[in-house]
Amino acid sequence: MVSKNCDVIIVGAGAAGLTLAARLAEGGKSVSILEAGPERKLGDLVSSQIWARKLKWSEPAVSESGNHKIGHAFNAGTGTGGSALHHYGVWLRMHEGDFSLSSDHGVGLDWPLNYEELAPYYDQVQAEIGLSGDSVKERWRPQGAPYPMPPLPLFAQSRVLAKGFAKTGRHTSPLPLAINSEPYQGRPACHYDGWCDSGCSIGALGNPLAVWLPRALAAGALLEHNARVSRVIRDANNTQRVESVEYLQDGERKTMQADRIIVAAFAVQSVRILLSSATEQHSAPGNHSDKLGRYLMTHPAGTIFGLFDEETYPHQGVTAGQLLSHDDYDEKDAAGGFGSSQWMIGHAIKPHDLLGYGTNRPDIFGAELEPWLKRASRHLGNMTVVCEDIPLPENRITLSDRLDRDGIAHAHAHHDLEPSAAARCTQRMSEGADILRAAGASEVWAGPRIGQHHMGGAVMGSNPEESVTDAFGRVHDTDNLYVAGPALFPSSGAVNPTFTITALASRQADHILSIN
Amino acid sequence: MPAPLSRRHLLARGTTAGFFIVAGQWLWLTPREAEARVFDPQVLSPEQCKALSILGDALVPGAADAGIAAYIDLQLQAGDESLLIGKYLGVDTPAQTEFYRAAADNVISLAGDKNSMQTFATNMASDSLSGWAGPPASYVLFVLRADALDVTYGTPEGFERLGIPYMAQIKPDKPW
Ligand SMILES: Cc1cc2nc3c(=O)[nH]c(=O)nc-3n(C[C@H](O)[C@H](O)[C@H](O)COP(=O)(O)OP(=O)(O)OC[C@H]3O[C@@H](n4cnc5c(N)ncnc54)[C@H](O)[C@@H]3O)c2cc1C
Ligand code: SF4
Repeated sequence: MVSKNCDVIIVGAGAAGLTLAARLAEGGKSVSILEAGPERKLGDLVSSQIWARKLKWSEPAVSESGNHKIGHAFNAGTGTGGSALHHYGVWLRMHEGDFSLSSDHGVGLDWPLNYEELAPYYDQVQAEIGLSGDSVKERWRPQGAPYPMPPLPLFAQSRVLAKGFAKTGRHTSPLPLAINSEPYQGRPACHYDGWCDSGCSIGALGNPLAVWLPRALAAGALLEHNARVSRVIRDANNTQRVESVEYLQDGERKTMQADRIIVAAFAVQSVRILLSSATEQHSAPGNHSDKLGRYLMTHPAGTIFGLFDEETYPHQGVTAGQLLSHDDYDEKDAAGGFGSSQWMIGHAIKPHDLLGYGTNRPDIFGAELEPWLKRASRHLGNMTVVCEDIPLPENRITLSDRLDRDGIAHAHAHHDLEPSAAARCTQRMSEGADILRAAGASEVWAGPRIGQHHMGGAVMGSNPEESVTDAFGRVHDTDNLYVAGPALFPSSGAVNPTFTITALASRQADHILSIN
Repeated sequence: MPAPLSRRHLLARGTTAGFFIVAGQWLWLTPREAEARVFDPQVLSPEQCKALSILGDALVPGAADAGIAAYIDLQLQAGDESLLIGKYLGVDTPAQTEFYRAAADNVISLAGDKNSMQTFATNMASDSLSGWAGPPASYVLFVLRADALDVTYGTPEGFERLGIPYMAQIKPDKPW
């Protein structure tokens, strides 16, 4: 069944997809969004870490291998808003040097654009979504407009942890957040209740449901849920063009046509869709030089915990944390490893769930546990280091032999951490323990090294033989197929990606609107 | 199974959670109510439920009373909609049932009585139990302890037990 025609189909209603939908619909395009997951509303976001698991990507599962797996089940969401519906709102600009990794250091890839080209879009997006922060105290911040809102207030935990940074000669600034420190454009200020991981139902956190979706719908975009795209289909008469997408909805296989198709289904699923679009006559779009799926990245990250004599009340605040340190960010070549790194300091935290303090002390059980949990719930401090991943062609997304219930191949994600990037993460985690001790912690321990955020797989580049898309996300061997989102990133930097994802999507939208 | 809860307990903790078969009938009960009435598990055997309940309670005292076995059985029935933390930890949904069955069977065949559970858990943590089959014991311990933390402390009642204000924006009308 072939259904309606529109100017643009967007696959995926997450951070990238809904930003593009709002911009393109407001620019006069007829836009249809196909979202694999169910409809979600802000009012569905129950305050519970157990119920929050419903927001995650479930099936078809992604199989994984490598010495540093990407953790797809934790990092990917589904349904309106995608993973971004319950992201934590840390919105940071990449630094200038993140765009020229290969030229400056001889490893990885360069971006086909530089910071100056993206800066106006960072400025535009931050004014629309509303960021809280202090651009002066962020001494390492690349140039850009000051934040539209003052930073969030500091709670006891962060005041204690900041002492450790000061005593070890380091600097901190307020963490820039897409969270309202005061009412902004009709959305309320934060309650500091730490429920960000369950999704902020009051709309204080600028997730796509709170910001982009209302704009997209008001401008006439159409959004279909439970519509899982299986592949894009080339035009039989002009194989440079894709003419439609095939999707599964209500047990039916359907097709929708459009002038342009944008795949914005997050890194792994976007690649899965493109790889599944190969035919006997044609390689998968963007895969003519076997680059599709390669350079998969995830930030190696780890949380350090400490117990203090002082009262920290770690349930207060926001999940993301309250302070930032980028002291060493631009020293990618510094001794001890390779790559940038940052500290996010003072997360509001719960006793249970994957990131909870109870879960992170498996050595404490039985009668000792409850007294320990009670102490931690008043005296714990925690902070997370995020490090750079080095893009490697061997780290790749492929199609697995397993088929889902609709006969479509599952994705497989292989990811090894390059030894020098692993060394940098170990080094920073050890420094983190010293910082907590300097802050007065009597007991310090580290959580496991995990993968945070997914990037790469359909990387952008100037050379079609070395990349999948051009600098605007257009797939090289097509005229009208685009990828949006972190799959495009040729390198990861060490900052959380969603500000850059949204700025890039805004730049893509301007480009598409300028074509016709 | 833990001893049946009193009627006063059931009324005080009267939140709803899911359908359980009790004495051949489907009833809408919380997992702890289901356990109190000796529910008929749908995925695990009664012996497996008992084993998980005893081990869960040894790791996180209060987990049996909070309904850990019924919680696991209910989530295993939910398929793709499962809320078990195992999904984050690399136990994908289709493999979860076998994971819990194997864990319970190890407890049944290798653990002694209730009183020896602390030693058993310590040996699980160090992977030093001879005859253990399936995923490593230390990993099973981590997952089951996380489940036990969920049911015991991941609810408004659990927060209250630790003296933490829950501060819900939208309070869950059932714990899971
Ligand atoms: C717990 C958590 C905390 C985070 N915190 C931060 C943070 O503080 N700062 C930050 O910068 N980033 C954070 N992130 C990362 C951030 O959420 C992602 O980088 C961002 O959402 C990616 O945007 P996206 O549009 O590419 O993908 P998503 O937002 O995931 O959207 C993709 C959408 O595509 C849909 N889809 C997938 N396959 C198909 C298909 N076949 N057909 C149709 N639709 C499909 C999915 O269902 C999903 O809705 C966090 C993520 C998590 C999980
Ligand atoms: S802490 Fe603030 S941003 Fe997070 S959920 Fe609560 S109100 Fe929303």
